[in-house]
Amino acid sequence: MAFYWYQSDPDLYQAEVAAMQKFFPSFRINQLQDGTGRLYWRGKVQPTGEGGMVWDLMLIYKNDHPHAGKDEYGGSIQILPVSPRLKDVAQQMMPLVLQTYGTYDNALKHGFGLGLPHIYRGNFGRNEEYFICTADPRYFKTGQTRSTSAASSLSWACKWIVLCEMWLNGEISDDVAMEGNY
Amino acid sequence: MDNSNSDVAAARRRALAEALRQGNPVVVTPTGEVGTKDEMQENGMSGIQVPDGKLAGED
Repeated sequence: MAFYWYQSDPDLYQAEVAAMQKFFPSFRINQLQDGTGRLYWRGKVQPTGEGGMVWDLMLIYKNDHPHAGKDEYGGSIQILPVSPRLKDVAQQMMPLVLQTYGTYDNALKHGFGLGLPHIYRGNFGRNEEYFICTADPRYFKTGQTRSTSAASSLSWACKWIVLCEMWLNGEISDDVAMEGNY
Repeated sequence: MDNSNSDVAAARRRALAEALRQGNPVVVTPTGEVGTKDEMQENGMSGIQVPDGKLAGED
């Protein structure tokens, strides 16, 4: 019996590969060596263009892809920045966030409990890592004929990176970072 | 980068921030560069249009 989504639904697997080859041809697919059988894409992007920061990203499929539970930010495709490591960036920002909001609870109330806007944490291997929240689960399509692909998730992630860099540079305010129509 | 180039880059970033804030269509090129759909078309660049989807995050 096929256990993994890419075995039970080879058409979906082919569609995922085709979409990534079309829109992000430098990314390569591989399988995590942690015994979970999960597939991932890895590659680099430069969302703010020439001269901007280069982000090395992993796009990791959960084994229930395509799926989006109510607390699954970004659905069944997790975006993990390898470099810069999001957890390191967030922890560097935390003192400034606490200075701005006075207390951790107040920072949390304003959406900055982890130090950056629109991120979540989860286990990855033996470590806790911070992931990009690409989209509210309501926007992650999980239908049999139409589902959100890794290419779409990566485009959301690139949008997030632009916003994050602008926020880090002080070009947009906390309120805009949290409450814009993103 | 000279002043005129940095002014152009800053103006471009402001326009992109405003487009994102308003939910206007943005496109991502194969290198991951993000720009407004109009800007990309004017520059002959193509890519994936970012689907609708409001960001959320851990509370």
